[in-house]
Amino acid sequence: MGMKAAHRVATFFKYFVLILVGLIMIYPLLWMVSATFKDNSEIFAGISLWIKNPTLEGYRNALNDFGGSINIIQAMINTYSYVIPKVIFTVVSSCIAAYGFGRFDFPGRKIMFSVMLATLFLPQVVLNVPQFLLYNSFGWINSPFYLAIWVHTAFATETYFVYQLIQFMRNVPRDLDEAASIDGCNSFQTLYKVIVPMLLPALVSCALFQFMWSCNDFMGPLLYVSTPAKYPMSLFVKLSMDGDTGFAWNRILALSLISILPQLIVFFCAQDQFVEGISAGAVKG
Amino acid sequence: MSNAISRRDFLKVTGAVGAAGLLAACGGGSSSSTAANSAPASVAAPSGDAVELSISWWGGESRHEAYQAAIAAFSEANSNITVNPTFAAWSGWEDTMSTKFAGGVAEDVCQVNWNWLYNYSGNAQTFLDLNSVSDYIDFSQWDEATLGACYVANSQQAVPVSMTGRIFYWNMTTFNKAGITEVPKTLDDLMAAGAAFQSQLGDDYYPLHLGGYDRMILTVFYLESIYGKDWADPATSTLNYTADEIAEGLDFIKSLVDNHVVMPLPTYYGNNGSTAANQSNEWITGKIAGIFEWDSSAAKYQDSLDEENRPGFTVGEEIKFGDYNGGFTKVSMGLAITQTCQHPAEAAMLINFLLNEEEGASIMGSECGIPASKSGLAAAEAAGAIDELVAEANGKVMAFNAFQLDPLFEDDTLKADGTGVYQEVFDTIDYDGVSGADVVDILLDGMEGVGYTINA
Repeated sequence: MGMKAAHRVATFFKYFVLILVGLIMIYPLLWMVSATFKDNSEIFAGISLWIKNPTLEGYRNALNDFGGSINIIQAMINTYSYVIPKVIFTVVSSCIAAYGFGRFDFPGRKIMFSVMLATLFLPQVVLNVPQFLLYNSFGWINSPFYLAIWVHTAFATETYFVYQLIQFMRNVPRDLDEAASIDGCNSFQTLYKVIVPMLLPALVSCALFQFMWSCNDFMGPLLYVSTPAKYPMSLFVKLSMDGDTGFAWNRILALSLISILPQLIVFFCAQDQFVEGISAGAVKG
Repeated sequence: MSNAISRRDFLKVTGAVGAAGLLAACGGGSSSSTAANSAPASVAAPSGDAVELSISWWGGESRHEAYQAAIAAFSEANSNITVNPTFAAWSGWEDTMSTKFAGGVAEDVCQVNWNWLYNYSGNAQTFLDLNSVSDYIDFSQWDEATLGACYVANSQQAVPVSMTGRIFYWNMTTFNKAGITEVPKTLDDLMAAGAAFQSQLGDDYYPLHLGGYDRMILTVFYLESIYGKDWADPATSTLNYTADEIAEGLDFIKSLVDNHVVMPLPTYYGNNGSTAANQSNEWITGKIAGIFEWDSSAAKYQDSLDEENRPGFTVGEEIKFGDYNGGFTKVSMGLAITQTCQHPAEAAMLINFLLNEEEGASIMGSECGIPASKSGLAAAEAAGAIDELVAEANGKVMAFNAFQLDPLFEDDTLKADGTGVYQEVFDTIDYDGVSGADVVDILLDGMEGVGYTINA
C-alpha cells in the first residue's frame, strides 16, 4: 500500500469516526424534528426517526391562541422585547464592572470583589422571594415593559460574566493601557478603544450565553408576568402542558422547534464572529 | 499578581455564602405572623361602580379556554366588573403562587390545591373566610362533608371545585387475550388474572402496574377496607394504624407482586427509568394491562394506548378487599379569595357564577373535574359538557370510597417520585425481597418527619 492509499484510509477512518459521533450528538435534535410529526403513542413507542403515520396536527395546533389572549407571534415579540435589552445591558455593565475590578486599585476592592463573587454562589431559589418583594415595592410586578426581568442587568448583577471578563482582561497586557494613555486616552477611551476590541471574543460569548439563558428562562417570566398577552415563548410553549389530563407532545415539540429557530440563527451568526475574534487576537497577541 | 484570587479570598467568599444561608434559614416561618380573623366580618356589598378583579389558575389548553369563556360571560352579565386572568401549566405554578402569597400580591380569586390551605394559610392568614361572603355564594350546593374539607383553621378558606379519588382502569384488549372477559371485581379475580397472564401471555405481561406512590395509596385503600378507619385523623394528622397493621398492608402489595399481578419495580425501572406509566412502552402496547389512577387521568391513559389497545380501555370497578369500602376521596382543587382582595363581594359572585350558576357551570363543564356543586353538575350535564369517561370514573369513586384524606399524606417528602419515602419503602421491598415488617419503620420515621403523630 503506497503512502497515498494509506493516507486515504486514515482520512476515511477519521471522517468515519467524526461523522458517527456527530450523528449521535445531533440525533436527539433530529428525533425532535421527526417527533413533531408523530402522535403520542408513536412518540413513546420508540426512538426511531421513521414516521409511521405522519401528522401535521402539532404545527396546526401550535398556532392556537388560547382563547384569543396570546399567540405564537406575539409570544416571540414579547420574548425579544426583554431579551435584547437584557443582553445589551449585561454586556455593557459587566464590561465596565470588570474593567473597574481588573484595572484599578481602589480602597475596598478586595472585599467588594469577594462580596461580588459570593453572589455567584447564591442559588436563584434563595433570591426569588426577597427579589419579588423588592420589585413589588417598586411596582414592577407585571410591568408592561418587563422591568423586573431586565433592569437589574444594567447594574452588573450577572456576576458570572463579570468574573469571566476579569479573567480575560488579565490576558490583555497593561502596556497597551499605558500606550493608550501616553497617546492621550482617558480611562473610558482606553476601555472602548483598546480593551473592548481585544475582549471581543469574550464579550460575544457573554452575549451568547445571556441570550440563550434569557430565552430559556421560565421562572422569571412566570413570576413577573401575569397578563397572558405579555407571555414570552418560554411560558407559551408550556401553556398546554397539563400533566393531569395529558396533552399532545407533537405540539409541544413543534412549538419548541419554532422557538429555538431564532436562537439557532443567532448562534450560527455569532459563531463566525466568535471564531474570527479568537484568531484575530491570536495573530496580534 | 494583584488580580489573582488567593486562598484567603476564597475562604472569605465561602464564609459569606455560609452566613447568607444561615440568615435565609432563620428568616423562614415569620410570614405566618398575621393575625387570623376569628369571626367573619361582613364585607362591603357589591356596588355598581367599575370594579377590576383578577383570577389565576393552572391547567391545560381546554381549561384555559373554558375559564376565559366563562369569565367573558360573567363580565357580560355584570358589565361593571372586569376580570383579568392569569394562567399557566402546573409546572412551576406552586412556586409562583407561594411567592405571590408571601408577597401579598396573589390574584383576588385563586384556583388552589387542597393542601395549599394548610401549607400557605395554616393560620388563615392568606385566604378569606368565605362565610363573610355567604350572601353571594350558595353553600347549599355542596355536601357538608365536601365543604368541610376546605374548612381549615376555623375558616372556610375555599369552596371545592371537584372531588377526586383513585380507581382501576383496565386494558380489556389484553385481558381478552388472556381469556378474561370481565373486569376484576374481587381480590381473587386479581390473583386469577395474574396467573392467567403469566400462563397465557408470558412473563412480560402483567394485569396491573403500580408505582411507589400508587402502591402506598392502594396499601391505605386495603387497610381501610379491612379495619374501617381513616389512615390518619384529617384534623390532627394522628396516624390511626399500628406498625403491625401497616406491615400487613405492605405485605398485601408484596403478595400482588409475588403472584404476578403487579410488575416488580426493578423490572419497570429497568425498562423505563422513572418515566410515568402512560409513557411506558409496556402500557402503550398492552403488556401492562391495568393501572390504579385518579379519576381525572382516564383520558390521558386512554389516549396514550396504541390503536390496537385503545378500544379496550375500560373504567374498572373499585375492589372490596375487606368488610368496608376502602379508599379516600379528596378535594381535587378549590377556588379561594385572597385576603388582599379589594372587592370580596364581587369575587364571591364570580366564584358562584363559575361553580353554581347555570351559565358559568355549563361553560366550565368538567374542565376542572366533575363539578362538586350540585347545581353546577346539573347545569354541566344538561349542556353536555361532561367528559363521559371521567364522569363514569368519578361516579364510581364517589359512590364507593368512604374515607377521608389527611393533608400530610401528599407531602412532597413522602410522595415524590424517585426520592420520596413511599417509594423508598416499596423499592426496598422489591429489591431486597424483605417483608412489610422490615420496612415499616422507614415509613413511620418518614411520616413522623413531616409532622404525623405516631402512637404505634
